[in-house]
Amino acid sequence: MAAVRELERNRQPAASRVRVRLRGSDHLAGWGFVTPAAVLIGIFGLLPIGWSLLLSFQQSDLLTPSTPWVGTANYRRLMHDHTFALSVQHTIVYTALFVPATMIVGVFIAVALNRKIRGISLYRTAAYVTMAVSTINEAIIFMWLFEPSFGVVNRALGWVGIPAQQWLSNPDQALYVIVAMTVWGWTGFAVVVYLAALQGVPQELYDAAAIDGAGGFASFRTITIPLLSPASLFLAIWLSISALQLFDEVYLTTRGGPLHATSVVVYYLWDQAFNQFDAGYAAAAAYVLFMATLVITYLQFRLGDRYAHYRR
Amino acid sequence: MNADVITTASEAADLPRRSRSRFRPSPWHLVLIPITFVLLVPLLWMLATSLETEAETHRFPPVLVPRSLQWHNYADAWRAAPFGSFLLNSLIVSVLTVISTLVLCSLAGYAFARVRFAGRGLLFIVLMASLMVPFQVTMIPEFLIVKWLGLHVWTQLGIDHLGALIVPNLVTAFGIFFLRQFFLTIPIELEEAARIDGTSRLGVLIKIVLPLSLPALATLAVLTFLDSWNSFLWPLIVVNSEPHMTLPLGLTTFQGSHNTQWSLLMAANVVSLLPMLVVFFAAQRYFVRSVAGTGLKG
Amino acid sequence: MTHLARTTTAIALTCALAITACSSSKPDASSTSSPGTGKTVNIAVWEGYTDTEGKAFADLVSQFNRTHPGIRVKTLETNNDFMLQKVLTAVRGGTPPDIAYLYGSWAPNVAKIPSVVDLTATARSPEVNWNDFWPAEQQVATVDGKIIGIPALVDNLAIVYNKSLFNKLGLATPSPEWTWDDFRNTAKALTDPQAKRVGWSIPADASEDTVWHWEAILWEADGDILTPDNSKAAFNSPQGLQATHLLRSMAVDDKSLYADTTNSKYADLFNAGKIGMLMTGPWDLAGFTVPYGVQVMPSFAGSAAGHQSIAGPDNWVVFDRGNDRKQAAITFLTWLTAPAQARQFSLQTGDLPIRQSLANDTAFVGQMDKALPGVQAFIDNLANVKKARPQVEEYPKISQALGDAIVAVLLNKRTPEEALNQAAAATDQALSGG
Repeated sequence: MAAVRELERNRQPAASRVRVRLRGSDHLAGWGFVTPAAVLIGIFGLLPIGWSLLLSFQQSDLLTPSTPWVGTANYRRLMHDHTFALSVQHTIVYTALFVPATMIVGVFIAVALNRKIRGISLYRTAAYVTMAVSTINEAIIFMWLFEPSFGVVNRALGWVGIPAQQWLSNPDQALYVIVAMTVWGWTGFAVVVYLAALQGVPQELYDAAAIDGAGGFASFRTITIPLLSPASLFLAIWLSISALQLFDEVYLTTRGGPLHATSVVVYYLWDQAFNQFDAGYAAAAAYVLFMATLVITYLQFRLGDRYAHYRR
Repeated sequence: MNADVITTASEAADLPRRSRSRFRPSPWHLVLIPITFVLLVPLLWMLATSLETEAETHRFPPVLVPRSLQWHNYADAWRAAPFGSFLLNSLIVSVLTVISTLVLCSLAGYAFARVRFAGRGLLFIVLMASLMVPFQVTMIPEFLIVKWLGLHVWTQLGIDHLGALIVPNLVTAFGIFFLRQFFLTIPIELEEAARIDGTSRLGVLIKIVLPLSLPALATLAVLTFLDSWNSFLWPLIVVNSEPHMTLPLGLTTFQGSHNTQWSLLMAANVVSLLPMLVVFFAAQRYFVRSVAGTGLKG
Repeated sequence: MTHLARTTTAIALTCALAITACSSSKPDASSTSSPGTGKTVNIAVWEGYTDTEGKAFADLVSQFNRTHPGIRVKTLETNNDFMLQKVLTAVRGGTPPDIAYLYGSWAPNVAKIPSVVDLTATARSPEVNWNDFWPAEQQVATVDGKIIGIPALVDNLAIVYNKSLFNKLGLATPSPEWTWDDFRNTAKALTDPQAKRVGWSIPADASEDTVWHWEAILWEADGDILTPDNSKAAFNSPQGLQATHLLRSMAVDDKSLYADTTNSKYADLFNAGKIGMLMTGPWDLAGFTVPYGVQVMPSFAGSAAGHQSIAGPDNWVVFDRGNDRKQAAITFLTWLTAPAQARQFSLQTGDLPIRQSLANDTAFVGQMDKALPGVQAFIDNLANVKKARPQVEEYPKISQALGDAIVAVLLNKRTPEEALNQAAAATDQALSGG
């Protein structure tokens, strides 16, 4: 940290009035840059969300055109829905485990990949390739790895004397297997993001730290981590948003089972919409999720933006 | 100085003696090889399955090394459906999506990072909100919107046309957020210097910021390409005829209600991966940037 | 314009041209003809046939197109599991297909879609010969007295056993008269923890796949799912308990029943000799690599119901896209499900014949069995399908309640009494509009 602050202090602006001009408001330019994106996102992202909000106040089966207005009935029903409560609980547990795990694994691998040794391109490509493998392959492999009778994991456990576990067939373990599966699947993404961010860490800082006698891990802690904080904030927010919307892996492996042990909010609402033909109810569940995601993201932003090391 | 990227001081100390590091393989290989292997397991499994006979794919415990390599699976899979057309459609959709994403997200991301304008904070949150509702809920209204566009604006944007696959994905809040974070790490002094010289905001973005953001841009390009390439549910909903199908839809040719033809499916999957590998490899040299080029001395 | 902006614009324009050029210029299936002008009527069929079925269906479609010049059938192959989502979205957008292949379990709800065509009149026509379809198919296609689909598929559940494993262990192969006690003993004999082998398996992912296995056993115990007026649950009866206790005793006490909670491994494990028997349908036969035999499900000794089985028919549903297209669709379906075509399809794919007259054709059945050994047992077993699942729109909720109950019992989390009573309460609530 000291090295960073040192360098910052040494960089005095050429003229303070220039700084004011650059940092002054520029509404025209700002809106000009943002408008194309905002319009497109407004049409394809926000309009559908508004439509779904309306749907959550109606009773709709997606079959008949009549969708009577039922006010907050769907929401009230959600409050008493035991399976929904379970789904919320599982989603929270899942997110709390998945996000930090993926970031930690990602940063370590990214640091390991950020060097010029022979074959590094191949190693890097391998990390990226994990992202390219579709979720169905991920699911198959993990179902095989964790298969109770023949899976590699149980066999390995057997060598150290631990009895075979039921994993995806055990209501108490299934969710954790899904955590492992998705951490693995998203590692490549975290690596890619961190690797890009590592390019912005100036070599001078490490040189200065080395002169001061800081070892490898110390400079990792005091230089790398803080300077990666914008990327970390991005990952924390994006991974949280994705985790809160977990669906594919659950659909492909346990279908929310056994006994709802892996039921998460999006799986639950999909089931309500397309198996139970209750789309209004599903929209209400989606809205609860939406509000929760909004609050969580906002909090992450407020906290993160203050501490993230930006070049302001 | 050389442009090696180093993250530990000890490695920095080693570096000037290049001749020594040439003979001695880096100890990092010991770490990287096992990690790489773990990460590559599904790909290896896919390859192995694609070269097995259908009977071998049903064996339990699963076969790791096929008895004899069934290369014909690739030809068979290719012939099972017009995969050439699927590939081309996927390419068109993905390439256009990437180009537009890079352009529009750079503009918007820069504005959110460096331009102070009225309503900036609120607009950012509103755009981020578009990421927070699951697709299962928004797909029907999106379908209706795309249908309307096809009827009232331009047929190519409507149901069962490639435009319907591209236009909803021309820009996402994900890309804007991603680039904002990266733009915020560029030293503002460089932009200030250019502004003093009279460069416009757009000029600063194009001449100063973007060249320094190549790793981020390359990363976003790769991530966007990946997302577009693998997109399944939206194309499934929107495409009604084979000539407009993309690769993931083509893969359902091998997935029946009760039975899946694993060897052919994996062969098709491997082929589907190849363009992405090409993109990764091509983007590689942009992922790593010479830190010496940032002009940060002193 | 800056250089970059010019380049970008150029690229964008080129791409716009590319999209237009690459889009198919084939007319989509919305053109219609006015009667008597001789223009072709295009109809769109959405189905999920793959592999052999896909090829057989494609053959039939080209045959039809060749022999019916006024109509052109275009097919779209899509995954059956996602078919409902796609159809519902299309319905909402006003562009459903002319014909869609839809699972029978969706029928009571699909019937509520206004654009679904009432085929009752069509069914009465002599060419369709409605009574030649299996009773199970007729029941699944009928909702509240209205016929909303033409049968596309029929199947049933029976026991498939590993012949070489039976020989190796010196077990008598199952006879048609076997009872559940015999079955339980056989399963116990097949179970060997050392060899990691288990007697039998059923899917246990709590979906309808789990539920319908149990329902077949419920019927054999002479039980029913709902009361005759479909107003309340009838499965939490002594008969329901008998069926559930049977499964529990094998899953929990004998540990001879493998509950496959991810519903994906039982076939591979069977092929590896790790499962001795399966309760499954004809669709799995082509994938078995060990010598196998097929036998009807055992019955309960002393039960009045005797041998039962359960079928899961699927429907071709017609959507109204205008009178010409509707007529064309009906013409196509009538032709497709006629005995000649049904016969051709079954012979090519090994799927059970959708018409009873075909099952009475011994030459045909012999041919089928030669191509796919064991399929004759399934064809004969169609006669044992005497009951059908209730055609009520709340069935998905009932299915979920039952699925949870059965899996809870198999995993020994609840007793059969608790599980069934809980499911019955949920069912009653759903049926009363709760």
